[in-house]
Amino acid sequence: MKGMNFAFLCREKPEPTGKNVAIIGAGPAGLAAAGYLVCQGHEVHVYDKLPEPGGLMLFGIPEFRIPIYRVRDGCERLENAFGVKFFPRTKVCFGNPHENGDDFVERRIEFEDIVKNYDAVLIATGTWNAYVPTIPGSDLEGVFPALEYLFKIKSAKLGHMDWDKVPPVEGKRVIVIGAGHTAVDAALESVNLGAEKVYLSYRRTIREAPAGAYEINLLQQRGVKWLERTMPVRIIGENGKVRAIELVKTKLSEPDETGRRRPIPIEGSNFQIEVDYVVCAVGQMPTPPFAKDTGIALDRKGRIVVDSRHMTSREGVFAAGDVVLGPSKVGRAVKDGLYAAESLHYWLMEVRE
Amino acid sequence: MRRILHVDYSLCIGCETCEGVCEFIHHGKPNIRVYYTVTGIPIPITCRHCEKAPCMDVCPSGAIFKDYDGAVIIDPDKCIGCMMCLAVCPFGVPTFDVKLKVMTKCDMCADRRKLGMAPACSEMCPAEAIFFGKPEEIEDEIRRRTAEKIARERMSTIPLEGVGRLP
Repeated sequence: MKGMNFAFLCREKPEPTGKNVAIIGAGPAGLAAAGYLVCQGHEVHVYDKLPEPGGLMLFGIPEFRIPIYRVRDGCERLENAFGVKFFPRTKVCFGNPHENGDDFVERRIEFEDIVKNYDAVLIATGTWNAYVPTIPGSDLEGVFPALEYLFKIKSAKLGHMDWDKVPPVEGKRVIVIGAGHTAVDAALESVNLGAEKVYLSYRRTIREAPAGAYEINLLQQRGVKWLERTMPVRIIGENGKVRAIELVKTKLSEPDETGRRRPIPIEGSNFQIEVDYVVCAVGQMPTPPFAKDTGIALDRKGRIVVDSRHMTSREGVFAAGDVVLGPSKVGRAVKDGLYAAESLHYWLMEVRE
Repeated sequence: MRRILHVDYSLCIGCETCEGVCEFIHHGKPNIRVYYTVTGIPIPITCRHCEKAPCMDVCPSGAIFKDYDGAVIIDPDKCIGCMMCLAVCPFGVPTFDVKLKVMTKCDMCADRRKLGMAPACSEMCPAEAIFFGKPEEIEDEIRRRTAEKIARERMSTIPLEGVGRLP
């Protein structure tokens, strides 16, 4: 048994309850919820825009962290042994604009049709809206949000995308902006793909780096140039392509009321580095399966608002994972998915606490 | 039959899945917890189910025993809550449950093992950093897994099509 066992709560599929549940998003939250719900005997259908289930565990996080077979075998087991039905390359939407990871979408289903056709719905669509800071030159060819960059690399490794669609970083110079886990992964993948030089720019110091000093030091050992206390000012292009980036040095303010030290640009400290690619790992926004009003409340960060039962402001529609929490971690999404599935099950079976 | 629950710290990615599923099946109280050390390296702490368990030796009420798989388990009916087990545990594992007024800890998912299932953390770890089974099988598996990791890092530039178990 090599794969993750999403249906770890039971040994085999129990007697069916006759209820059907749609899960939108086959990432860690959606899959954990699917595992819980099949163990309760519900019919579970999982919709996902990607060519195979797994979400960022497959299409974002490098395989030296999460082995591909661990996710693939786990999903196969959920499908074959527990009868979860997957609908890949299927985007559930309602007036949605383009998001990262839409490359493989072949079918679109209206969100309202899903709500109509199932006894309950769980939204676990994550945070696929990765942004690039709006600085001059951010629209040049060769500027990527890190999520898209990692997504293309993993898609090629999984056999879903031709390598000629992946940025050819071999022998090239790459700068990654940010110092979180996504930034570290983007820098490491660049090194592994044979980039000539990889820079990592962060506006605070190694002590504040969200990925932790260990990961940053490991990168430096692998030859990555760590540029702490620097911020991008503009990206310089030539014939529409990235040629260089201008950074400014920063100093840290005294801790503010939240205890964080704000980076302040030092005037006149600008400098340029010649690079071929700029990869921005500065944050991602939630991507619920609708862009117009569906009666489901979002907070000011775009996250779906849920009550203590993980139910959205619409009866029978639940939400879990990063689309509720904001960008977090595999484990937090798994946990949220489990608790949401439990609440959904109680609601479905009319168990009242 | 002796079975072990082994956490390989070098394979852990700090994703907290083990802690999440453990919490879920133990009513909000996980028996495995991920700690972020000052270096930034995440370390999951859980009971190692020692062969010569200091907690068993020191327990004045004889509340700690080993089951048929070698899991070190605290009997809540015998525990007097003196915390001596916590004092001698090399990993600081036993926890005082303020509601039950006894020490609790990982029992290697005793209820699940009775049904022929593996501990939940090992079932769900995405990084396959938690192993459960016979010692000789686990040791072999760890070496195989580490070899895969080294190989994967080295051949990361080559498309994996047709290599190993990938289609």
